[in-house]
Order: sequence, then C-alpha cells, then structure tokens
Amino acid sequence: MLNGNHSSSFISFLRRTSTYLILLVILVWFALLSPEFLTVGNLLTIALQTSLVALVAIGMTLTIITGGIDLSVGSVAALSGALAAGLATRGGLGTYPGLLIGLLTGLGMGFLNGAMIVWGRIPPFVATLASMAIARGLTLVYTQGRPIAGLDKTFTFWGGQGALGIPVPVWVLIVVAFLAYFLLKHTPLGLHIYAVGGGEETTRLAGVNVGLVKFSVYLISGLCAALSGLILTARLWSAQPNIGVGLELDAIAAAVLGGTSLAGGVGGIPGTLAGAFIIGVLSNGLNLLEMPSYNQQVVKGMVFILAVMLDYFIKQRQAKPKGNPAD
Amino acid sequence: MSQTRSSHLATFDRRAFFQRFGLVFSFLLLMIVLSALSERFLTPSNLMNVLRQATINGIVSVGMTIVILTGGIDLSVGSVLALSVTVGASLMKQGQPVAWAVGVALGTGTLLGVVNGLMITRAKIPPFIATLGMLTVARGLTLLYTQGQPITGLPAEFRWIGTGVVAGIPMPVILSLAVFALGWIFLTRTKYGAQIYLLGDNPTAARLAGVPTDRMTVLVYAISGFCAALAGLVLVARLDSAQPIIGQGYEFNAIAAVVVGGTSFSGGEGGLAGTLLGALLIETLNNGLNLLNVSPLWEQVVKGVVIALALLLYKVFSPPSK
Repeated sequence: MLNGNHSSSFISFLRRTSTYLILLVILVWFALLSPEFLTVGNLLTIALQTSLVALVAIGMTLTIITGGIDLSVGSVAALSGALAAGLATRGGLGTYPGLLIGLLTGLGMGFLNGAMIVWGRIPPFVATLASMAIARGLTLVYTQGRPIAGLDKTFTFWGGQGALGIPVPVWVLIVVAFLAYFLLKHTPLGLHIYAVGGGEETTRLAGVNVGLVKFSVYLISGLCAALSGLILTARLWSAQPNIGVGLELDAIAAAVLGGTSLAGGVGGIPGTLAGAFIIGVLSNGLNLLEMPSYNQQVVKGMVFILAVMLDYFIKQRQAKPKGNPAD
Repeated sequence: MSQTRSSHLATFDRRAFFQRFGLVFSFLLLMIVLSALSERFLTPSNLMNVLRQATINGIVSVGMTIVILTGGIDLSVGSVLALSVTVGASLMKQGQPVAWAVGVALGTGTLLGVVNGLMITRAKIPPFIATLGMLTVARGLTLLYTQGQPITGLPAEFRWIGTGVVAGIPMPVILSLAVFALGWIFLTRTKYGAQIYLLGDNPTAARLAGVPTDRMTVLVYAISGFCAALAGLVLVARLDSAQPIIGQGYEFNAIAAVVVGGTSFSGGEGGLAGTLLGALLIETLNNGLNLLNVSPLWEQVVKGVVIALALLLYKVFSPPSK
C-alpha cells in the first residue's frame, strides 16, 4: 500500500533513528514552549523521574527480546522495597543487610518466574501475572497495608543527591544501562538472548541451553525491578505497599517505543532508554505547560499509539523492496 | 464451516478431559473442604453472595475469553468499562431516559472495542500494544470527563440492574448467566464461533478457508468492549457511584479467570464453560478465606498461587508437545 521511491538507505536511517527523532522533536518542542524546560535543574529532574521506569525497562527489554515478558516487575519492586525497609528498621538489621535482602528478593522472584516458564512451561505472560499477584499480596501481608517509615540517612542516600550534582538513582541507571548494553552486545549470553527470541528451536539445535538463557533474563529483570523499588523507597523515605502499580505497563511502553519487538529477537538498551525518556520528558513538559494530569494521560496514550504506528509504517517501507509476502 | 467445528471438537485429548473435569473436581473439592471448615459456607445466602461477587468479573471474562480464543488479548477492558459507565451515568444525571443512557454506554464500549480491532487489523499494531494504548487513553478521557469526581445519585430504575431481585435471584447474577449463555451459543452453535476457533488455531489456514479474519478480529474486540461496558453498568448500578478509577486492574482478574478456566493463551483452545468455572473458583476461594477469617491481604497471594497451580496442572495433564 505504500509505494515510495525513496532510497532505502534513507528509510533504514529513519528506521534506526525513529525513537531518537521522536525524543528530539519532543525536546525541541518543549524547549520552545517553556523557558524553564531547558535548564540543568529541570533536565536532572527528568533524569531522576525517568530512572525508576528506565531501570525496570532495561530488565523488561531483555525478557521481551527472548520473546517473553515480565508483568511482575511493579509488584517485585514493591515487595523488595517493603522487605528492605522493614528489615532495616523494625527488623533491626540495618541498611545494608536490608538492601541486600531487597535485591535477593528480586532475584528470588526472578527465579520463581524462570522456574514457572522454563520448568513449568507456562507462557511468560501468565506465569509473571501469577507472580505479580503473589508479590503484591506478600507486600500487603508483610506491610499490613501500611507504609514503613523511619529509614535512616544511609538508606535515603540511594534516592538523594550524588556526585557531581547528579542524583544517585541516575548514577545507578547509568551503571545498570552500561552493564546491560555490554551484556547484550559483547557477551555470548547477549548473543544467545537475541538468538532465543529469533527462533527458540533453532537456538536449541545450535547447542545453546535455552532454559539457562531464559532463567538469566528473568533473574536480571527481577534484580532491576528490585533496584527500582529500593530507590523509590529511598526517595519516598518510606516503603509504600502500593508502589509500582502499573509500572510494568510503563516499562513495556518504554521498550516498545524504543523499537523492541514483542515478537522477540529485536531491540536494545539505547532504544529503551530513549523510549523511557520520551515518557519522562512528556510528563515533565506537560507539567511545565500546566496541562491538567487528566489530559496528560490522553496525550501520552496517543503519542504511544502514534509512535508505534509510525514505526510500523517505516518498517513497511523498508521491507517493500525485498518483495511483499502474500497479503 | 461445519467441518472446521468438528475438528476442534473431535480432538478429545487428556488436556480437554482435564480441562472439562479436572476443574470441576477441583471446584467440588474446594466446596467440600470449605463446607467442612465453615458451617456458614454452604448456606444459600452465602452461595448467592459468591455468585454475586463473581458477576462483574464474569461478564468481563466472557469478552476476554472470546478475544483470547483468537490469540489476542484485551488489556483495555478496565478503562473501557470506566469510560462507558461515565458517559452513561452523566447522561442519566442530565435527566436523559435510562434506556437511552444505557444504550449509549453499551455503544461506547462497543465503539472503543471496534477502535481496538481497527488498530490491530488496519494499523497492524500487536493486540497487546494496541489495547495498552487504549487502556491509557480511555482512562485519561474518563478522568478528563469527570475531572476526577465520582458521579452518584443515579435513578432507581437504573439501579435495579444492580440491586433488583427476580424470583429470588439477584439481577447481576441473571444478567451474567445470560451473557455466558449467549456467548456459549455464539461460540459453539454459530459459524462465527467456529471461525473464531479456526482463527486462533491458525490465522493463515483461517484466511485460506475464507474466514474474514479482519472483520472477525474487529468483532471480537467489539464484543469485549460491549461486555466491559455491561459489567460496568451492573457495578455502577449496585454501588450507585461511578468512580473515575473504577475498573482498574480488571483486565488481570478477567485474564486470571480465563486462564484458570483452561483457555490457551496461544488461541484456538478453550471456552466459556471453563471461564465460568474459573471465575467462580477464584471467587469461592476469596469467599472461603473471608469466612475462615484470613486477612483479605492474603487474597492476592492465593489468587497468584491458584493461577500458577492451574497452569502447571494443565501442563502436567497435557500430552507432551513436539
């Protein structure tokens, strides 16, 4: 249906950079509309707000590349935050053992997801739906539905100001993003993650332990979710039992905006970061323009749909010269 | 089309057997255990309570089952529910006739479902993404429209949908049973039902067999939108309040009922009988925990464990694939 005569190299350039172009357009647009937007302080605020979703989205990207998904991230974030805060304060363990147990909780939930998916052969969507309910339920049971306050400075440090005036959560994001990028692009495991998403049976026949690859992505996703939950807890100075509700949807949106395909085999960390920042910049910019939060949700949903459609049309144009499969 | 229907009915494997009877056995076992543990469980009023609690999720689950049978998913049901009832409730507050308001609400839900279907068939957006977008947009429109305020004080004749009793049976229960019955007839006794199973089983084969796949896809999302709107109307009629955050998370409850009911996520396998049992099983468990004075905070944990166990059992009882 699209018969462009454009050079395919231009189209493939658009294809590779569409996420960044969208981000750039939004940045320029808000910079023109609001004088407060393009200030160092505001940009750091955006980075801080985006870091929570971006951390989760990095783990999510890995699961989606294998052709899976992790719906449990929001609940895992809440459970990790609650256990860490509870054990650090009323449990009397102190901050660092508390944080460690928070991270182990994320790994534990990731292990549960991996076990259900690899050993139980349950589809990832429903397996992680089950663990989403379990982790949220355990959070409510542990906290009795009430916030856990009284965190000391060593804990709240992780949500506060860090070196060079950059908030600690942003530093954590930078480190995690770099590690994940390195893992995907420069290690055998990264190659196998793409391979599993491209074709599980073929990968198995090539001698790759597919189960192990899947286990690792859900472990990493659980760990990323836990990190995000601990940081949010530190930022709020308390563990809230209902944090992270809907976080999975934001993380999936970031990954998909960043060009990761839900069918698996395609995607990457830079795209996901850009996707997360599109969401973060939109929220921040619309706030600066004093748009009521209700309208914001409509705008965000529409940008999401439009970006996905744009991506599809660009893909179609690129695919055209290679011959059109039966429609 | 008759031969395509017989093809999915003819395969009477262990999975189908477990799906049909394993769930019934589990349900009966749960009933026996709960009756033994609490004398209040097996009373007519409590059983009616379970039924009433299950109605809203039940109605949403009917549409969700049909969508999942095609291999799709509808994440937008909770938001579509909210937007539809908000439109309906505000029309009633303006003094419009109840029948008109109800019709517009159901029409809104159906229309939003059609939009989902068109995004999936025309713009080729994967169902998960398309309905995720709709989830955000419809919730935003609801908040925008209500400015975050609940709509209360609805006419008594409308509230009858949620609070009325006919022949000793609450209206919501009658309505949801009717929706299940209609859905069951649609899926098993019409050519469209057979086409939906075929579409979910193998889209390419369905297209080659002459199934209008795009139109069927739009139809199933329209049905899901309609069911969400209807469930919302029943809920609002019962509560006499349309909260802008109404229906949040309902997509997951519906998916849970469908999945526990044995409908396969890859499409083409399952049905509404299972979903009905799935919805009832989850609600009975919640009710049982309540009667046994277990803190409602445990509800989610139990729900998650039940979903996981049900899926594991289906896998254990299914023939080894490949």
